[in-house]
Amino acid sequence: MERTRWIFIGILVVVLLIIGVSVVARIVTGGNAPEEAELILVAPDTITVRVLTALPVEPWVRNAAAAYNATNPTLDGVPIEVEITAMDGLTALGRWDRNDFGALGPDADPDNLTDAEKAALEDFPTVWIPDSRYLVELANASYKERLGRDVFLTDGEYRARPIAISLFTWGIYESRAAVLEQTFGGVSWNIIHDAAVAKGGWPELGGDPSWGFFKLVVPNPNKNAGGLAAMVAAAGEYYGRTNISVADFTDPQFQTWLRELMGSVTDFSSASAYTAEDFALFGYSVGDGGQLLESDLLQNMQGILTRWDDPLKIYYPQYVTWFEFPYTIWVGPETSALEKNTALEFQRFLLSEEQQQAALAYGLRPTNPNVPLDATPESLFVKWKDRGVELIVPRSDAMRNPDREVLLALLRWFELNVAN
Amino acid sequence: MSNEFNAKQRTTLIVIGVSIVVVCLCVILAAWAGQSVWDNLRDRSGITTGQNGWDSATAEVTIAVSPGMAATLAQLAEQFNAHAYKTPDDSLMLVRTVSVVPEKMVEQSLANPPFQAIAPDSSLWLNQLDRLWVEKQNEVEGEALIPIGNRRFGDPVRYAASPVVIAAWESVARDLGWPENDIGWKDIQQKATADTTFKWNHPSTGHASGLLATLAEFYAGAGLTRGLTEEAATAETTLAYVRAVEATVRFYGEGEDIVVQRLAAEGRNFLDAFVAQEQVVIAWNQAQPGERLVAIYPAEGTLWADHPLALLELGMPGEAPITDNQRRTYQAFVNYLTAAEVQKQLLSTGYRPADLDIRLDGTGSPFTGDAVDWRQPQTTLQIPATSVVEVVQNVWWYTKRPTNIYLVVDTSGSMEENDKIGLTRVALRSFVDQIRGDRDQVGLITFATNVNLVRPLQPLDDAGRTQLHTAIDQLIASGNTALIDGVWEAYNRLMTEGNPESINAIVVMTDGQENSSRQSLSALQRRIQQEQGMQIVIFTIAFGSDADEKLMRSMAEMGGGQYRRATETDIEDLYKIISTYF
Repeated sequence: MERTRWIFIGILVVVLLIIGVSVVARIVTGGNAPEEAELILVAPDTITVRVLTALPVEPWVRNAAAAYNATNPTLDGVPIEVEITAMDGLTALGRWDRNDFGALGPDADPDNLTDAEKAALEDFPTVWIPDSRYLVELANASYKERLGRDVFLTDGEYRARPIAISLFTWGIYESRAAVLEQTFGGVSWNIIHDAAVAKGGWPELGGDPSWGFFKLVVPNPNKNAGGLAAMVAAAGEYYGRTNISVADFTDPQFQTWLRELMGSVTDFSSASAYTAEDFALFGYSVGDGGQLLESDLLQNMQGILTRWDDPLKIYYPQYVTWFEFPYTIWVGPETSALEKNTALEFQRFLLSEEQQQAALAYGLRPTNPNVPLDATPESLFVKWKDRGVELIVPRSDAMRNPDREVLLALLRWFELNVAN
Repeated sequence: MSNEFNAKQRTTLIVIGVSIVVVCLCVILAAWAGQSVWDNLRDRSGITTGQNGWDSATAEVTIAVSPGMAATLAQLAEQFNAHAYKTPDDSLMLVRTVSVVPEKMVEQSLANPPFQAIAPDSSLWLNQLDRLWVEKQNEVEGEALIPIGNRRFGDPVRYAASPVVIAAWESVARDLGWPENDIGWKDIQQKATADTTFKWNHPSTGHASGLLATLAEFYAGAGLTRGLTEEAATAETTLAYVRAVEATVRFYGEGEDIVVQRLAAEGRNFLDAFVAQEQVVIAWNQAQPGERLVAIYPAEGTLWADHPLALLELGMPGEAPITDNQRRTYQAFVNYLTAAEVQKQLLSTGYRPADLDIRLDGTGSPFTGDAVDWRQPQTTLQIPATSVVEVVQNVWWYTKRPTNIYLVVDTSGSMEENDKIGLTRVALRSFVDQIRGDRDQVGLITFATNVNLVRPLQPLDDAGRTQLHTAIDQLIASGNTALIDGVWEAYNRLMTEGNPESINAIVVMTDGQENSSRQSLSALQRRIQQEQGMQIVIFTIAFGSDADEKLMRSMAEMGGGQYRRATETDIEDLYKIISTYF
């Protein structure tokens, strides 16, 4: 009887132990599937750096990524792979603003994510290369409201660092540019405005009647950050200063001037995110000239020469907007420390002399001061020197970046007055 | 006895104990398994399969393509498929194409489309989709603070382009002053209004070329060449001008591809000029002997058919998302289309390739003759804001040439088979709903053993539309097939109720053989030949395999219309297509 009782008690103890261990295991693993109960940290098979990049630098960054991947890079023995996704900076900002990429909320526990939550973060960008630093600031402002902190750092190891620069220049078909030079003595926003409002079109300006009206080309602000930059630069010249406020944009006289200017754009609807490419594909039929990014114009110069019977000429404006393409690493818990450090490795690669020289072939100005613009024979600054491109930008005033209120005011104005 | 009891009790206790252990283990295992299953279901809840669902690993992509480009893109898709490219998980990449009118493409893209990518003829349609999508999203989520980047489709790519031109026979173009003089939209419009024998056509506003031609009329009517506003487009003087020009249009229709088919079938005299992409001129001259077509680049400016291709970003609630493999297939197809070899192939068919390294004036290029000019167009017509474009599309219905149509419908006993009569009711209702002009009139005649005038011609205002719907819903099938008598009755009625300024047409459908008419086909032919004052166009539909194809073809030919064959699955679509001719 005694032995029987002990056996019975023993069985009960075993049962209770099993139940107890199960309960403890479930609490430790957060109630997830058995395979998630592993407590050993396993190194990933591959570290993927997902780079969301602005369109003007995308071809260069993509080729650099291919060259980097070809070196079979590793970090702590783990193979690295860089993946590139092209997205206009303003479009990406809209997506950050709506949290389309699925950043975790302020109450989320990064250590206790469900499988679905982990899967949703699999494509989360490690790095963002927007067109301009102000887009990073705007994204930070958006996340500060949501999370109470910045998600892209402006100082320290992970700070945003420009990888190449370019500026907005005038690109005008040579036959048209000659008429403008003859009639007005040069090219500026005010001259373009005067040409745009000429009731008789090109014949009135001294040009060929078959050219119709003067047709301006600027990027569509809904698809390309350059559209906004163009409007800010136009405002700079209108007011004769580099700092533009919301009050400036809401001034009725300026709005009339801007509406007349934008009224000379032939077709915003067909304008893609690649405005300079459109300019080359559709030629002078859609635009006599416009203000576009220097690198985009240089990249498409050959296409314009091949496809149309009139070369393009480049002019530098008085009020310039620079794009500096900051390489910006996401610092939130959505990406691992290993991924962030790997992103830094790729940043170093992009800033190396070799890759900075490669950027010249895409018409981009290197940020590495050791690389001159005519460093290689492939440099587009060498190739298109006779088209008006300058190694040293003529004396000009750099426009200050717009703040969030100006950006929103501009986008709304465009929606109400031009797009719709 | 006591020992026996103890032994028995001990055994019982051990059995109970072991049973408890086993039950506990089972419960724990079941709980774990249940949790796993639940987690799995929860994780997958975001990937529900929609109405048009597909397997989550599929690598098959369907692209909706504008009718004018459908054949070319289908061929390129076939070439791509022949390579049998595979995804990393060894799925076969497959691209299918389906021909869809751009307007319908936009409409379908908004919710649960039966395709994953779209290739309309112009970015204008993507713009409309953008606008409708943002409106729809704003209704659900409220207006976004930064109102960009919220798109239904990814960044589009262009694989070809072709400017819209006025395609004219060389002799006609020379009469107009080609190639020495600049010829504009206004010249064509003036020619058409001044010379009643001049036959021209443009597609409906559902196609890029038709939309451009219509915009050009509104510009000319408003006395503008840019800056068209809603007020200017709807001004009475503008509308009167557009009405006068539209009155000269011989017929509307599905698109330039159908015009080309009819040119090929009916010959040189079918039309003097028509609005089409430049590529149509090149393709025609490559394939057809005889007088060549030339491209007139309108002096006021034109529009580009820029052929964008875009992947839809699906995955709204109740909608299957694009799979990773579908993205891979789409990207591979884009790479294929934009590769130099395929770009040269597109050039050889008359398109301007998107690859800017390819010269248009190079050796062997179809642009080397003078029928088309690669240096043109010099300028483009300004595309107004989306809202103005929509106003033009809507107002066009009130300015276009008015139409008088008799629907002549077979209600013989055989229409009961496979519920053909039920399908016909649905198709007729769709047809009536597509006719939106305020001056359009529709009547309904049925034929079985005898002919029955169900509704005389009446305007399609709200009351008229309701009456016609009711009459259609009450159609029943019985009796024989007095097909020719039905058409005869419609013809006589149109001769008295129609008018020469309108498009007067009969749309007749049968599923069987003529067996009950008093009139003969030859009598009908004589009747048509005798009438010189007013043209009545006859469209014929042979529904099912038993229909008298020969008779239907003959009637379409003598009526200057079209013969079409329909099945149970496409009868509704066919009626909708025919409605675009009015």
